[in-house]
Amino acid sequence: MTISGPATFFDGLTSARRDVTVELARDVLRILGPDGNALAEWRYDRLETRSAPDEPLRLGQAGSRLLARLQVRDRELAAAIDEASLPIDRSGRGERRLRTQVIAWSLAATASLLMVAVWGVPRIATELAPLIPYSVERKLGALIEPKVRASLDTRHAGAAFECGNTAAEQPGRAAFDKLMDRIETAAALPIPLKALVVRLPESNAIALPGGYIYVFQGLIDDARTPDELAGVIAHEVGHVANRDGTRAVLQGAGMSLLFGMLLGDFVGGGAVVLAARTILETSYSRDVESAADAESVELMKEIDGDPRALGVILQRIAGSSHPGPKILADHPDTRDRVARIEAAAGATGGGPAPTRPLLTPAEWATLKNICSQK
Amino acid sequence: MTTFDATVSAAATGIVASAGAPVRFRDRSRAFWRLLVHGAIWLTFTLGLYRFWLTTDIRRHLWSSTELAGESFEYIGTARELLLGFLIAIVLLLPLNAALFVVTLGLGEFGEIAAVMLSFVLLGALGQYAVYRARRYRLSRTVYRGLRFHQTGSAWRYAVCAIFWWLLITLTAGLAYPFAQARLERFKMRNTFYGNLPGRFEGSGIRLFAGVLPLWLIAVVPFAAAIVLGVKGVDWSALAAIAGGDDLSNWVDASGLDRAVVYAGLTAVWLLLSFAVLYPIFQAMVLRWWAGGLRFGDIAVKSRLRTTQVYGVYGRFLWYAFLFTLVAGVAIGVGWFGLDKLTGEFDTESDEIITTVAALGAYVAVALGYATIHQATVRLGLWRCLAESLDLSNLAALDHVSAAGDAASAVGEGLADALGAGGV
Repeated sequence: MTISGPATFFDGLTSARRDVTVELARDVLRILGPDGNALAEWRYDRLETRSAPDEPLRLGQAGSRLLARLQVRDRELAAAIDEASLPIDRSGRGERRLRTQVIAWSLAATASLLMVAVWGVPRIATELAPLIPYSVERKLGALIEPKVRASLDTRHAGAAFECGNTAAEQPGRAAFDKLMDRIETAAALPIPLKALVVRLPESNAIALPGGYIYVFQGLIDDARTPDELAGVIAHEVGHVANRDGTRAVLQGAGMSLLFGMLLGDFVGGGAVVLAARTILETSYSRDVESAADAESVELMKEIDGDPRALGVILQRIAGSSHPGPKILADHPDTRDRVARIEAAAGATGGGPAPTRPLLTPAEWATLKNICSQK
Repeated sequence: MTTFDATVSAAATGIVASAGAPVRFRDRSRAFWRLLVHGAIWLTFTLGLYRFWLTTDIRRHLWSSTELAGESFEYIGTARELLLGFLIAIVLLLPLNAALFVVTLGLGEFGEIAAVMLSFVLLGALGQYAVYRARRYRLSRTVYRGLRFHQTGSAWRYAVCAIFWWLLITLTAGLAYPFAQARLERFKMRNTFYGNLPGRFEGSGIRLFAGVLPLWLIAVVPFAAAIVLGVKGVDWSALAAIAGGDDLSNWVDASGLDRAVVYAGLTAVWLLLSFAVLYPIFQAMVLRWWAGGLRFGDIAVKSRLRTTQVYGVYGRFLWYAFLFTLVAGVAIGVGWFGLDKLTGEFDTESDEIITTVAALGAYVAVALGYATIHQATVRLGLWRCLAESLDLSNLAALDHVSAAGDAASAVGEGLADALGAGGV
């Protein structure tokens, strides 16, 4: 005999509520109106449970455009329908399996995303940077330079930020230009360098896209020989030659893409993204710095300077400052750097002492005074 | 607007209770908590990708717990649709962002400001467009008695309208808010249908304005007065004279800036306090007004929401948040101590990595904890209070509605998500 029982039916065409009798036939579930007419016949294999509170059992038809619903409150009938139609998944096992899949795949996606961020992005940026025309790089530099200048130039206004423009500083400027000429000629870069000395107390120098190099006053004060200064400048020239500024812009764009858009925007996610970005970006930067060190050694050899001087000044500068957390450092550990510089400098043998000093003692003295104007 | 959007669907849901059998909300808060906690855990491991599933779960729960005239609502949207909508949104937004970037690059110093403003307006309008389309998606996935809701109307027109009103709200320090809400709600509800039963909105901006004006006066007037006093109190010519020089030592004294700073501090405290105390009153008022303005055909809605209920909801949130803070504090303290012992044997670099990961993990866990508590207390609580406060008249009209409208795509939800304009 066929099982049957009471239920509520909405036909999906109107909002009318109908009390119906459900009859479980062999292949179909038959919905009968009060007069015994069949209102609908639903195949068991197309039945679907729909979201509802724990009771009643709410059924719909999979893949139907109509949203017809059958609601069964009678527990025996609900159990019988369950029995008759295997695809009905009241325990939610199928749904859970789907979710587990999603979770597993997102974990895999996370892993592959991280791998792309760690290895892919720097690699792509490295491959792409040489393909960017110098005209574009120069435009980029012209765009970035004023911003960097504005962010660094906090105390002095306008021209005073730059050293070597007043009458008293002119000779120092001439000596600086002479040193730069020698380095630039040896480096044979496809774009002209625009090197400046700026009035900032830190012992540092920076390179920007488009051939801009800022040498900080603090570095000139700390340098004891022209070779030490030249070593640091040659390091920055190495950045220009390797197009590291452009590469950094490309990397930044790649990271924004990976971390900004694709990743989730959930509470607390912002901090994770920021931390991951910072750690990854500084780790790229450490590799880039090592390459620039190597470039500096080569360049110093070419201009008959002392390739080891870079190591000497690095040690002196590092000795006076406290190292922060290693994973947040954008330069490699100084000891490692010095060791590598020494190794590279010694690889081709120390050679004879420089025959042609970079600057005469008099020139060096005027260069030390390039920022004498208060 | 956020107040509304959280509850828009609540309203869509609550629309149809009979006078005899009002809207009922089935309390299944244990299941809701479980769903939220699971969701929070999976959110972290999937870097947020799980949010489409969590959102779907939350909506299913809220919709199906709400019963009108003995029948519960049904949310038929799926996480897959939301994910797809998000992917489409990325496809649309990526070139747009790239184009804006290139334009910014090419325009130089001046053009950059123009480009930033342009992108601000453009993305703002796109956000409103997304909000409207997201509402369309949600409505078309809301089923009651075998019929779906749907929404018509041009999302671009809505976006233009919304941008205009939000500008006006900003310019009037919030005074235009009631009129903006009335206008935008009218736009939305005029285009909202249950089957072929058209909705409309009859709330009046003036009436809401009269209600919230005292609140605005209490919060904003002392603030504005203090700003005026502060600005007047500063001797601007003296300040300008000193600012040029290098001697900054008596800069603050001479200019009377210290008094202005005290004023500013006091008013900031006032603004925050009055906001905290008055917000539930405001929210209750706006929700009552909004629900009371809803109409579907002959069906009219009224809300008996009491302000104390809204205070109760926030009180619960604060209480749970307090308990969670205690537990999290102890857990982090113990964890910190244990980590310190554990990492003593490692070298500095791995020590740093472990500590960083642990600190980040703790931060994310705490942030997600508060978000979860907020969902389980404020969102659920407000939904429930509002739903149970509704009275509906002329429910007989419900029996003769025919099916109309089609399923809308989830692109709007995706856009809103990608733009951070709310939604998912």
